[in-house]
Amino acid sequence: MKHVLATVIICGLFCASALAQVSFDRIVRAQREPQNWLTYNGNLGSTHHSALDQINAANVGNLDLKWVSQAQSLEKFEATPLVVDGVMYVSEPPNTVVAIDTRTGRPFWIYEHPMPETTYVCCGNINRGVAILDSTIFVGTLDAHLVALDASTGRKKWETTVADYTQGYAVTVAPLVVKDKVIVGPAGGERGISGFLAAYDAQTGKEVWRFNTIPHPGEPGNETWPGDSWKTGGGSVWVTGSYDPEANLIYWGIGNPGPDWNPSVRKGANLYSDCVVALDADTGKLKWYYQFTPNDEWDFDSVQVPVLADLSWKGKPRKTMLWGNRNGFFYTLDRTGGQFLRGNAFVKQTWAVGIDEYGKPIKAPGKSPSLSGTDVWPGVQGGTNWYAPSFSPHTGLFYVTAWEDYHTNYFTWDQEYEAGKSYTGGGARGPIPSLSRQPFIKWGPEWGYGVVRALNPVTGEKVWDYKMRDVSDAGILTTASDLLFSGNREGYFFVLDAKTGKELWKKYLGSQVSASPITYTVDGVQYVSVAAGHSMFTFGLKAAR
Amino acid sequence: MNFRLSVLLFLPPLAMLHAQHGSSPDRPFSTPDDEAAGARSFRSQCAACHGGDATGGVVGPSLATGNFKNGGSDEALFRVITKGVPGTAMTAFPLNGREVWQLIAYIRAVNIGKAAEQAKGDAAKGEQAFNTNRCGHCHTNGKTTGGFIGPDLSDIGSHRSLSQLESAILEPDADVGPDYWSLRARTKNGQTITGIRLNEDMTSFQIREASGRLRSVWKTDLASYEIVRTSPMPSFKGKISGGDLDDLIAYLASLRAQPISEVQAK
Repeated sequence: MKHVLATVIICGLFCASALAQVSFDRIVRAQREPQNWLTYNGNLGSTHHSALDQINAANVGNLDLKWVSQAQSLEKFEATPLVVDGVMYVSEPPNTVVAIDTRTGRPFWIYEHPMPETTYVCCGNINRGVAILDSTIFVGTLDAHLVALDASTGRKKWETTVADYTQGYAVTVAPLVVKDKVIVGPAGGERGISGFLAAYDAQTGKEVWRFNTIPHPGEPGNETWPGDSWKTGGGSVWVTGSYDPEANLIYWGIGNPGPDWNPSVRKGANLYSDCVVALDADTGKLKWYYQFTPNDEWDFDSVQVPVLADLSWKGKPRKTMLWGNRNGFFYTLDRTGGQFLRGNAFVKQTWAVGIDEYGKPIKAPGKSPSLSGTDVWPGVQGGTNWYAPSFSPHTGLFYVTAWEDYHTNYFTWDQEYEAGKSYTGGGARGPIPSLSRQPFIKWGPEWGYGVVRALNPVTGEKVWDYKMRDVSDAGILTTASDLLFSGNREGYFFVLDAKTGKELWKKYLGSQVSASPITYTVDGVQYVSVAAGHSMFTFGLKAAR
Repeated sequence: MNFRLSVLLFLPPLAMLHAQHGSSPDRPFSTPDDEAAGARSFRSQCAACHGGDATGGVVGPSLATGNFKNGGSDEALFRVITKGVPGTAMTAFPLNGREVWQLIAYIRAVNIGKAAEQAKGDAAKGEQAFNTNRCGHCHTNGKTTGGFIGPDLSDIGSHRSLSQLESAILEPDADVGPDYWSLRARTKNGQTITGIRLNEDMTSFQIREASGRLRSVWKTDLASYEIVRTSPMPSFKGKISGGDLDDLIAYLASLRAQPISEVQAK
């Protein structure tokens, strides 16, 4: 018996190819294997759309809970999981990675990252997910490391330092794998960091290239920062970018300039804060950029998911990028050259009177943060934020979770920079909690409410709304059966008709949905998973096992 | 007793405030007598969960590895003992300041990794023995990326005493932990399934097959199964010379977890 087992196990040394390998080729073609969910947004174009259609409008009423996996941590669960050949890989707060059996919800292995006693992270002990390449899982950490784990055992293969966490840097973003590289950048936009995107060799963890999201002296764009202000200019990176294999470009949304609410110490456009940057995937060289909010005064991080959509534009096919921005405007850009195609407000906003023909916003007077406070729409959490929007090639619509008629009172004040400490130069006030989880919804509707909004990406027009009482930090999943899955802070997980916005099913999960749902199959049967509170909930049709 | 010690003794919260500001006060009550008193307190207050020798028990983790999940500084240990760890079985212990510091003195003294200093062999030669005996084919020592079949040895010196290391090399079957038990099963349709058993509940097994593939098995699909508790590792008794064995043990004992604060501190 022992020898048989030894033989079987030693075979493992030489027969390792039997383990499913997630090649980059598979990742590029992720839409062809909808039974899996191979990247943070399901595919490198980040449409958060699945070709699965077993669950449809006729049977969605039979959705039933299959399993729940409760995180060990009680911190907010914001991660979007991956599913690879029956195994779910997900990060729980703060940096724990779990491999879960999708049939039962039971764990295969758990990796716990050893943490220093003190971290300097800004806005909660958050981790948004992992990436996979071949048989390696990649996760960023709150002490600003990037860790590679063996997908089969959860054991660490390598660990590399991305930045100095004691200076306020942390990695909360789910990494993006492109070819043989793993790309991440640091959070810390409220800690006076100077941001970057960096690519690491997936085999060794060695840094291959780095793009400074706040240009250093001698780099183009540094002239948009007076004096030494670039050193604390922010430009954080905390939501995963996209990749176009034909153009070999990665697209990434960059965070707010620092200090957030005191633009008087950083007069200028403050590149590349609040931009989308298009970088050569092999070298990290900038191909083009588009800045949504120059010299931002309201913390309008452009940390949204770049959604790549091939549209018919004025009668011709055009490779576009769709962007519902935190500043309240919805944009369609040409993703090959970065041209502004169109933009319009998708929620109530008062900081700009419009966008000029070149795509530059025209700021409204009197909307700057002030010592006594200035009311501005949208409020500090924006018209939307980091959670995934979705584009359905079936309906041709762009779907976004929006905060409508939402404003806050913005303040500014002088502040000295101290390493690793909060550096915001002001504040924002309003009754709707920015980040916290709480069971009560008591403010008046005049402070804002949440909607799932369907937009026409060619005209920018609203097609339908699904209105909620509370705001929402939940992302959106659409499927080939024209269903839309999302949730909200109220604790509901719901399914809408993607064509009309009609509610087809909903379930109260007991705590806020602050993550994006995904779908995949288990033994050929479609499942849907979403994190809520500190648990991962998984649903499937009742007839399924 | 100087003023600082009296503050630490009678006003633990102030000690914590002090710690949060980054300075590390000298540890009071750390004489051999204090350590012995700490050992007595440990047996009465802590051993039920953390084991009589502090190497871990049914509920609590080992406190002898030199690494502590909730912080390894004196201040962090003081905080954990006096405040507990929310969400775990570690509740706050109502001990006075002297008792807490004596406990910390004892916990510092039981660090397994200190055993490496008493190893007879030569750790540098032991690394050669690790390589020539192809240990890295199944184990990682923290330097190789392969070797995921057997236990991770990259910090084994923090977890195993010298005698435990020797026993594991010469008699691998003597102590195979449940993390390395295997499932050997036959399905109702005649298929054989084997793999390391990662989890087992009423209805299913989660296993890792030899290929590295993770999969689950419903118990209702099985005609029969057994849990194999022997190790696939061959015994090295008679296959490794006494000198090489001592060197190998010294090397393994030298593989210790880096205290997190040392790794991270800038």
